Amino acid sequence: MRFSGTERIPATREQVWAFLTDPNAVAQCVPDVESLEVVDPTRFKAQVRAGIGPVRGKFGFDVAWQELTQPSRARMTAQGKTGGSAVTVDSAMDLSAASPGETDLAWSADVVVHGMIASVGARLLDGFAKKQTEQFFGCIRQKLTG
Amino acid sequence: MATTTTEQLGGYGQSVKRKEDPRFLRGKGTYIDDIKLPGMLYMDIVRSPFAHAKITNITTQPALDIPGVLAVITGKDLDAAGLAWMPTLMSDRQMVLPVDTVMYQMQEVAAVIADSRYAAADGAAAVEVDYEPLEVVVDPFKALQDDAPILRPDREIKSNRIFHWEAGDSAATDKAFAEADVVVEQDMYIPRIHVASIETCGCIAQVDEVSGKLTVWMTTQAPHAIRTVFSLVSGIPETKIRVISPDIGGGFGGKVPVYPGYVIAVVAALTTGKPVKWIEDRSENLQADSFARDYHMKARLAATQDGTIKALDVVTIADHGAFDAAANPSKFPAGLFSIATGSYDLETAHVEVDGVYTNKPPGGVAYRCSFRVTEAVHMIERMVDILADEIGADAAELRFKNFIQPDQFPYKSPTGWEYDSGNYPAALQKALDQIGYQDLLREQQEKRERGELMGIGISTFTEIVGAGPSNTFDILGIKMFDSAEIRIHPTGSAIVRIGVQTQGQGHETTFAQIVADELGLPVDNIIVEHGDTDTAPYGLGTYASRSTPTAGAATAMAARKIRAKAKELAAHLLEVSADDLEWVDHKFQVKGSPGSSKSMAEIAFAAYTNHPQGMEAGLEAVSYYDPPNLTFPFGAYICVVDIDRGTGMVKIRRFLAIDDCGTVINPMIVEGQIHGGLAMGMAPALLEEISYDEHGNIRGGTFMDYLLPTAMETPAWETGRTVTPSPHHPFGAKGVGESATVGAPPAIVNAVVDALSHLGVRHIDIPITPWKVYKILEEHGAAE
Repeated sequence: MRFSGTERIPATREQVWAFLTDPNAVAQCVPDVESLEVVDPTRFKAQVRAGIGPVRGKFGFDVAWQELTQPSRARMTAQGKTGGSAVTVDSAMDLSAASPGETDLAWSADVVVHGMIASVGARLLDGFAKKQTEQFFGCIRQKLTG
Repeated sequence: MATTTTEQLGGYGQSVKRKEDPRFLRGKGTYIDDIKLPGMLYMDIVRSPFAHAKITNITTQPALDIPGVLAVITGKDLDAAGLAWMPTLMSDRQMVLPVDTVMYQMQEVAAVIADSRYAAADGAAAVEVDYEPLEVVVDPFKALQDDAPILRPDREIKSNRIFHWEAGDSAATDKAFAEADVVVEQDMYIPRIHVASIETCGCIAQVDEVSGKLTVWMTTQAPHAIRTVFSLVSGIPETKIRVISPDIGGGFGGKVPVYPGYVIAVVAALTTGKPVKWIEDRSENLQADSFARDYHMKARLAATQDGTIKALDVVTIADHGAFDAAANPSKFPAGLFSIATGSYDLETAHVEVDGVYTNKPPGGVAYRCSFRVTEAVHMIERMVDILADEIGADAAELRFKNFIQPDQFPYKSPTGWEYDSGNYPAALQKALDQIGYQDLLREQQEKRERGELMGIGISTFTEIVGAGPSNTFDILGIKMFDSAEIRIHPTGSAIVRIGVQTQGQGHETTFAQIVADELGLPVDNIIVEHGDTDTAPYGLGTYASRSTPTAGAATAMAARKIRAKAKELAAHLLEVSADDLEWVDHKFQVKGSPGSSKSMAEIAFAAYTNHPQGMEAGLEAVSYYDPPNLTFPFGAYICVVDIDRGTGMVKIRRFLAIDDCGTVINPMIVEGQIHGGLAMGMAPALLEEISYDEHGNIRGGTFMDYLLPTAMETPAWETGRTVTPSPHHPFGAKGVGESATVGAPPAIVNAVVDALSHLGVRHIDIPITPWKVYKILEEHGAAE
């Protein structure tokens, strides 16, 4: 599955960059994060409690920055698993200045799901991803506007 | 003495109420999960979310930390005991638990043993498995390409092709096609489906701590074969293995294979010394147990311009999943697919099947069908309709023109089968008359002129069941005979033990009826036992409509042995020579002297109280019956559908099934079998399909997506019968359990295609969902 979108954020590119590439900051906006452990500047682990329809569980995610071209482009991969399900995400972000105080964030994510989350939750995945994404960027906008 | 009638006894042809029903209707059956043993442990299974992956690590400690969890068993544990792999029935082998690679989603990866089912489930969720995903192959055609990864590097042959199998005459078929006036060709796919029996699979394994004897209560359709295989694999003598198949909530072929869970539970019982129960949940059953069908066929028919079919050619790619664990007789890798010429008298035919490995659970379950007969029948019945469309012939007329005629039996088919008997024109004519075919054709014409979509579909199928004769049919070398043992008690009641096993077919009633009729004892006085290898005679089990043709025959033969001894006893009692006696009205009477007779009850009493000097006491017999041939039930089905142009919904308005299963033991049970079979034939035609995404994720892994028919979807079936007894079966029976599942799908598809044929539609692959039909209507500008 591929998801993508563009968000306009009322902050400078540097501010957005700094927020998004700080695991502790961005984790505040990832829905349902229970814990976060920064392994090194490019890798962190997150425990996320997720429920898609009847499939519920605590996903352990290994997240790694694959590309960091400050302040315009970043690529991140994440592998998550829980009993009976697994998910891999390959996500890219391109930041461009829309106006002096505004940044356009073009993002995309290739998501591959395996196991129960796919076989049972497939029909709910699109809606789930849309909701999570909206919450995530809504949170970023709020944090950076505030 | 009053005459004893078949009706009074409950013999052949009587609709005796099912003896098993009182316990089922009251919820008093004993299924595996009803059995609870003292100190019993529970097993749950960790399964793979990936369709193909390396296992890099398994961390069991978090599971062991859960209160109540006693052990975690992994592939490495089994490997150390030489049990990580097990043989399949098809000369392949299958992982019990993987040592380092998983081959399909939901494959067993580890097992957790705990003192409660809840702790076992919690433990299974807590086992941490690290995977490294590998390239997934879900398409069997891609699996055969040169650049495809080799899925089974453990095999000597480095190819994803499991087998190549052919039947018929290739050269003669090529020649017939080269010379043919008309050739029609069609690709067809029969999708992967699941038996979805109400009861999932499971077992309880128990080892007696004194004798060391292993008892396994398990959901199996073939307990004796399982015992022998267990013994061969484990080295435990068969005297120390007892397999009990108690009440079984539906089998349909899905309970023939040996699933890894059974083996792991046995290992767990042996290692813990306690009984271990394993019961699948619904998702495990639907996603991981063996599947049926999955045949990609390219079929061609050669014919003359006037519609005489000359030849058939079929090339098939069969998706068998990761292990060839199909449940066929061992010499038949493609089952009885070569019945593909069906009810038609063709000059020649050639069929070939290539079995292929993919990253899916094992396929090849004979889902209520005699080993690939459903696929063969679907193909030929569709092809006949396609030919009719090509030459502008009526589908019924074309069938009459090409039928094997009643005087041609026994008929040798171009692929080598000898059909024992049949009367196809009579069955079709009866169906046409009963449904009012000419009126329906007129109605269809009128509706078509008004823009309404109505279709009439015919299927005149031939089955091939009752496996089978020992010269060709075996399972891992064990010949496919079957057996019965009858013991008559002094007061004229009897116990019958049979080598086959019921999963709902009604054996406890029908086998008692055979004995009732053959021996003149009331059916109420006869009990039938089965499914326990310590007490039942050896048999190969119930599947592929083989029970009545094999064990049913054995029951009649055993009864006749008893009758032979009873005649000697009657002669002793009546003080005449046995030659002076005849079997009349279910008793022995002196020829020409109807007043002098002895009933079986009287004879049975004498067998224990007054037997002549020199004769052994008692009255019992055993028969192992090796059928001389298979049996060939057949039928003519007609389906009438209406299609909603606004939604694409297909409504089955009428469905008439005329079946011929030879002599009928119990008409009510036969009708029940046909009703159930029709529902299970309609389901894949219109609703059911298991498909996979490119990553090997199963789509349709719950009943939310895998649509089983309910009473809402199931139409009111109309049934009828012709009777053409099997000439080689002791009482002429042929088997009926699967006829309707095999015969119904093409009748439905033919009806839908007929409804759309004037738009140029010639074929639709099953399942024919409303969406599929609506898209076709849109393409042809016929949607509303």
